Amino acid sequence: MESKSFFKAGVLALFLVAAFVISWELFWRSKGAPVSFNDDEALWAKSRAEIYLPSDKSTVFIGSSRIKFDLDIPTWEKLTGEKAIQLSMVGTNPVPLLEDLADDPEFKGKLIVDVTEPLFFSLGPQASSSALEGIEYFKNQTPSQKFSSKINHALEANFVFLEEGKYSVTALLEDLELENRKDVFRFPPFPKGFEVTNYNRQTFMTQDFMNDSIQVQRQTAIWMGLGKLFKTPPIKGDTLQQYFTRIKKATDKIKERGGKVVFVRTPASGPMEAGTKAGFPRNVYWDQLLSFTSTQGVHYEDDPGTASFICPEMSHLSPADAIVYTQHLVKTLSAGQGGSFFTPKFK
Amino acid sequence: MLFNSYTFIVFFLILLVLHNATKLPWKIKKTNLLLASYLFYAVWNPPFVILLWLSTVVDFVVGKKLFHTEGKTKRRSLLVVSLVLNLGMLAFFKYGGFLLENFTLLANAMGFNYQPAKPSIILPVGISFYTFQTLCYTLDMYKKRITPEKSFLDFALFVTFFPQLVAGPIVRPAQLLPQFKTPRTANAAQLLKGLFLLSLGLFMKVVMADTMLAEPADQVFGASGSLTALDAWLGVLAFSGQIFFDFAGYSTCAIGIAACIGFSLPDNFRYPYAAIGFSDFWRRWHITLSSWLRDYLYIGLGGNRNGAIRTYANLMMTMLLGGLWHGASWTFVVWGALHGSFLCVERMFRPKPAQTGAVQEETSMEEVSAVIKSASFAPAFFQKRKVKLFFAAMLTFFLVNVTWVFFRSNDFSTAWRLLGSMFGLSEGAPVLPTINIIKVTVVTIALVATHWVMRNTSVMEVAQKTRWWVVGVVWAFMLIALILSQKSSDSFIYFQF
Repeated sequence: MESKSFFKAGVLALFLVAAFVISWELFWRSKGAPVSFNDDEALWAKSRAEIYLPSDKSTVFIGSSRIKFDLDIPTWEKLTGEKAIQLSMVGTNPVPLLEDLADDPEFKGKLIVDVTEPLFFSLGPQASSSALEGIEYFKNQTPSQKFSSKINHALEANFVFLEEGKYSVTALLEDLELENRKDVFRFPPFPKGFEVTNYNRQTFMTQDFMNDSIQVQRQTAIWMGLGKLFKTPPIKGDTLQQYFTRIKKATDKIKERGGKVVFVRTPASGPMEAGTKAGFPRNVYWDQLLSFTSTQGVHYEDDPGTASFICPEMSHLSPADAIVYTQHLVKTLSAGQGGSFFTPKFK
Repeated sequence: MLFNSYTFIVFFLILLVLHNATKLPWKIKKTNLLLASYLFYAVWNPPFVILLWLSTVVDFVVGKKLFHTEGKTKRRSLLVVSLVLNLGMLAFFKYGGFLLENFTLLANAMGFNYQPAKPSIILPVGISFYTFQTLCYTLDMYKKRITPEKSFLDFALFVTFFPQLVAGPIVRPAQLLPQFKTPRTANAAQLLKGLFLLSLGLFMKVVMADTMLAEPADQVFGASGSLTALDAWLGVLAFSGQIFFDFAGYSTCAIGIAACIGFSLPDNFRYPYAAIGFSDFWRRWHITLSSWLRDYLYIGLGGNRNGAIRTYANLMMTMLLGGLWHGASWTFVVWGALHGSFLCVERMFRPKPAQTGAVQEETSMEEVSAVIKSASFAPAFFQKRKVKLFFAAMLTFFLVNVTWVFFRSNDFSTAWRLLGSMFGLSEGAPVLPTINIIKVTVVTIALVATHWVMRNTSVMEVAQKTRWWVVGVVWAFMLIALILSQKSSDSFIYFQF
């Protein structure tokens, strides 16, 4: 082929690619898909780098998906005047994150730790792998990766189809309803409207998702299925005491540097909450955690304003309820035992 | 930086404009290329650029002295200086932990209770590649095959040329240094060819290796127990495809990028899974490494000049060290040993030179190539019928897959367990979901079929003969698949070597 023909081939390819990109983006937007960021290690690392703000200007959150949905960051920031740095990771035990912050001598700020018992009290490697990978990525992030992630985030802010977890080839193949082999685990794909993530790592479910009872039921069934599949006996006895010791060591380190730590238990409902209560009785786990570590805790059941939320899919609050929950959380923390969690400027 | 990253796209666009669209003096353009190459490397880990500088300065100075010095002892001393520096760096960074681990095992086996602290050594990206590239300059100087490079700038660029710096192709001085002598910019044909190859290389890496095959390979090689034979084989086939697409994809990108700025790099892969026999395989797989090993190690050890036994010993030694080049682990040594054994067996059964007319001794590159070509036993038996040739190629593919088990396994227990599963020696559990079975099966069939159809041609030759709109559609398909894959930051497997 002559170079002229190659040039024509290149022009045709560019035209087809541009036509595809525009059509693909419009297709997903026409289905009501919002812009959502990949909640990956690069986005987490971007937030992790923000923890060194002065303690009167920010609060760091660690935990699993619940606090990502249940904390409404705009509400928190509006009420407190402080930045909320969301470092929680989906499906993850936050204790490695707690230890990472405790081992960072530069971190002297305020920390809120979400306790979702089946994850928080899970010592299996699966529950910690994302946290450890995120920490590793942050520590070893190259200048090239930092620059790439800036460009990537700028693109993700404008194109719906760039959310890898939902619209990549892999995700679309996962969506195919193929009968899977017997005895082989395949992580079930979540409904697309269940999780939308902002640049600040705030996660929320869409109105379309909440309006679609089939999708909500599907997500609920996924939680129940995963719960059965990864059901491990709760840790007890010496193992639990050693675990408390490990956590106390981390919280003490932060407190000794002038930092503050609070544990929060966010709402859940239905069989999921009943199962959690049965497996992890409050007096054995939550109460002991607070007393062993001498740390303040905010349990959703203790505030009448947050005690009776109904989670659409049993595990996470709707965006509207997240605003109410956040308002109550700020109120509780500002009137906390032993003084306000916040600096005097905030009342 | 990775070719499959946004950082590289920005870097490359700026470089393309500076190199092709400005009328800067050639020396300035070369300086730009050198600085760009250092930047390309530094964004991984800036301090490791010092290693590149050290290697460049020492080899430039030593190379010149080697060529002009006459005394045998002095020349040998100079060679040792270069070897100690280059191989010393490689030994420390790549093999330090491995050597210490084996020394500890040996000491404990001999009754000494020796427990050293575990070293924490970060491997500089691509150190094996640029070490081999600078070594061949020094060795060529020692043998006086080429004259010393006068321009330090050109030599530094030869060591550091970013398209092939971290994962090859490993380029000989005679292939690249002359290209720096005359001003080069890409003409329209080169630029388009380069962009097409870059698209193809990224498609191979991002879509085929990372998106289609990485997960099933990881699932199988990461399994803690025995597997069903189906799962074990599909996992190995997945890795077989993954490593080809990953590494050949990198080489294709490198060749394409170099073409976009007016340079030419040698081919590194020629459809290796259509190889008939292992010598044919090594003429198709990582060609620049296999030719390096042949010219600087195998022939250096004596090649086939000292009788059959020494020839086999040299072949084995070359492949064992070739295995170790890939990684500091005994599993890589076994991988090399298997390839060496297959090559020896082939050599035993190959037709006598009198029958084929092939040369007996290696005195030139062409002759050596002919010898290795003739070492493939299969053509003598199967050249009459294409179907039989295909089955011979499949037998080679089968054996190559067996060797990949050792290459990919983290330890021998994983390798033995997987081999046991592959050959039905143990009961096992399924691990691959249906979607991954489909992915591996489709990609493997397409891969083998493509290699077979393309085994005597090249992508560019086929593109030249194809209608422009077909090329345009294929090109668009690759770019769209790339965009849809959205994996922008996975490292190339060969970086760790």
